[in-house]
Amino acid sequence: MPAQALNRICYVEDDPDIQRIVRMSVERIGKMTIEVVGDSTKAIEAIRAFKPDLVMLDWMMPLMDGPAVFRAMRGQPDLESVPVVFITAKASQKEMDELRALGVAGTISKPFSPKDLPDQLRAIWHALP
Amino acid sequence: MDQGNASARISLRQSADPRLVLADRVRQLYSQMPTAIISTFVVSALAAYELREGRYIEILWFWGGLVVMLTLMRTILYLGYRRSADKVAEAAQWLRWLGISALAAGATWGFAAAVFFPSHADQQQVFIAFLLAVLVGGGIAIYAVSWPIYALYAAGILFPFNYVLATFGNRLFAEIAFIVPVFYVINVGIAYRLNRVFNSGYRLRHAYNKLTEDYSALNDRLEHQLEDLLQAQREVEASGRKLALFAERAPISVLELDARGTVLETNPATEILFGYPGPELIGRGAIEMLCPPGGPALNADIWASFVASAGPMTLPQVLCVRRDGIEVICEFTLIPLVNEDRELLSVIAQVRDITQAIEIDKMKKEFTSTLSHELRTPLTSIIGSLQLINSGVLGDIEKDVLELTLIAERNGQRLLDLINDILDIEKIEWGKLSLFFEDVVLQDLVDEALVLNRSFAERFKVRLEAGARTDGVVVDVDRKRLLQVLTNLVSNAAKFSPEGGVVEIDVSIREGRTRVAVGDRGPGIPEQFRSRIFSRFAQADSALTRQKGGTGLGLAICKRLVEAMNGQIGFEDRDGGGTFFFFELPLKSTNA
Repeated sequence: MPAQALNRICYVEDDPDIQRIVRMSVERIGKMTIEVVGDSTKAIEAIRAFKPDLVMLDWMMPLMDGPAVFRAMRGQPDLESVPVVFITAKASQKEMDELRALGVAGTISKPFSPKDLPDQLRAIWHALP
Repeated sequence: MDQGNASARISLRQSADPRLVLADRVRQLYSQMPTAIISTFVVSALAAYELREGRYIEILWFWGGLVVMLTLMRTILYLGYRRSADKVAEAAQWLRWLGISALAAGATWGFAAAVFFPSHADQQQVFIAFLLAVLVGGGIAIYAVSWPIYALYAAGILFPFNYVLATFGNRLFAEIAFIVPVFYVINVGIAYRLNRVFNSGYRLRHAYNKLTEDYSALNDRLEHQLEDLLQAQREVEASGRKLALFAERAPISVLELDARGTVLETNPATEILFGYPGPELIGRGAIEMLCPPGGPALNADIWASFVASAGPMTLPQVLCVRRDGIEVICEFTLIPLVNEDRELLSVIAQVRDITQAIEIDKMKKEFTSTLSHELRTPLTSIIGSLQLINSGVLGDIEKDVLELTLIAERNGQRLLDLINDILDIEKIEWGKLSLFFEDVVLQDLVDEALVLNRSFAERFKVRLEAGARTDGVVVDVDRKRLLQVLTNLVSNAAKFSPEGGVVEIDVSIREGRTRVAVGDRGPGIPEQFRSRIFSRFAQADSALTRQKGGTGLGLAICKRLVEAMNGQIGFEDRDGGGTFFFFELPLKSTNA
């Protein structure tokens, strides 16, 4: 369990509606700081700039999907250790298992409940080593 | 040849029933009686007239009385025979009576000869001798069917007469007395011969009758058998035509192949499916013609193993190439026709083009996958937005607006449930559902389900309680999926409970299996709904569905999930009203 409380979250998601809902949920209910990235190709730069405690990735995105962003992060020494959570509507059990093996911190399935999302994120955060 | 004749004769003799032959002889004898009676009476009257001038007129009267009595008695005998009920069984008796009557008739004439011959003049003596000769000769015709009777009759006439002749004291008469016995013997001999001829005639007739009977019985039997054969032939022809018609009109391709796979016969559907006219296929190897080398599922090796097994075989997906080069995927069903010695006569191959079916199946899967993502994404926004509004974090909302946004959220959730359920059931039916089996302490899982569903039950003003507890029972299940089953059963029970009701979950062990029963005090399951309660989209009351939610897939999913975890699901009426829905699972261990 990390020493400090979960506070800074970076969310990579192409759908503006869901961006807003997640932003409201995390800010208003979770009382945390969130940085939303709409263009996944710019995700690495944004994450490096924002220095989040945890990164949330959408699975299906144009140009570069969530797993691709995740793999790109694993290739960067400074981003390697940032915990990653996937929010997904579609993923086979096999793909999930694969990612978990690569070190994904957790998955949250779509549709998620904005009311419960901050608690879910904190639960994943507390479960981290 | 001779032997054949002899045996034929024996069989002829055997086939004539001796009782019937005797009865026939007796009938023949009696049929002559009227002639005998009348002629005796007439000749007697004539004789009496001629002899009336003798010295012994009283004796003549006495003899006349004798003749009348004899005639009467013979008439009675004749009539008695005519009326007798069973002429066959009583034939021997009637023959004896006839013998006695013949002897009496003969003796009457013998008496006449003995008395009147010596007492009359020469003329009358000649008349009497002539008369006696006629009677003895005529008797042959009357009694020839039974020579002993004739012998008695003739003896009755001739012995008294001969005695008179021999003792008359006249040399000529004495000489005649020597000739008369010879005459007698000759006549009896003739009667004997005639008797034999008659007998063999009767025997022949009966044998012939019997043969005719046998023959006509045989003929009848043959006719029946022939009719049966014709009927069988008609049936075989009809079923042959029917079979041919089936193949001819069948929408699927049917080929008859020999043991080497050479095409013997095809139907029009085969021509349509593969694009080859029938004659182009007949006489060629089906595998070489239709299946590309190296293609999946049907090749020479598989064919050889099929022929060796001589049992039916289904090949679900065989890649085939049409005459125009287009590839089609076909399902082959091979049915061997074997004789009693298990020799392969031919093979009926039914071929169904499943290319389209496979395509449709693929499309369906793609569609479901799209449904999964494309419907869930907007729903995420809809439900998420409404939840944020309804949670109040954005500030107070007017009461009427809140009412509507709550309806919107609830129905959004319902739509999501429906999508999830459809996806679940599709996954299960395609065998795509992967279960993660682990040891689960059942009572703990039940307690978890009680906690998770408590707020849901409260919406229906229903309390959830653990009923009978069985701690320490461990089952090998997919934890998440069993929780889904429990949630489903509990939420169903809550929905159908009356307000203020209690839903209980009992955990028990019976016969090596553990049983979890969710009991409610609801209205029970309607009779007409019981048989299809675990079917898809089965809901007893659609009005209730609108009111309380539910997709109609919950129990269908539960059934499939429980069965996938080697369990069984069911329901039963609860004492005092309501229903138990239960599932039973194999027990892994108990450490209670």
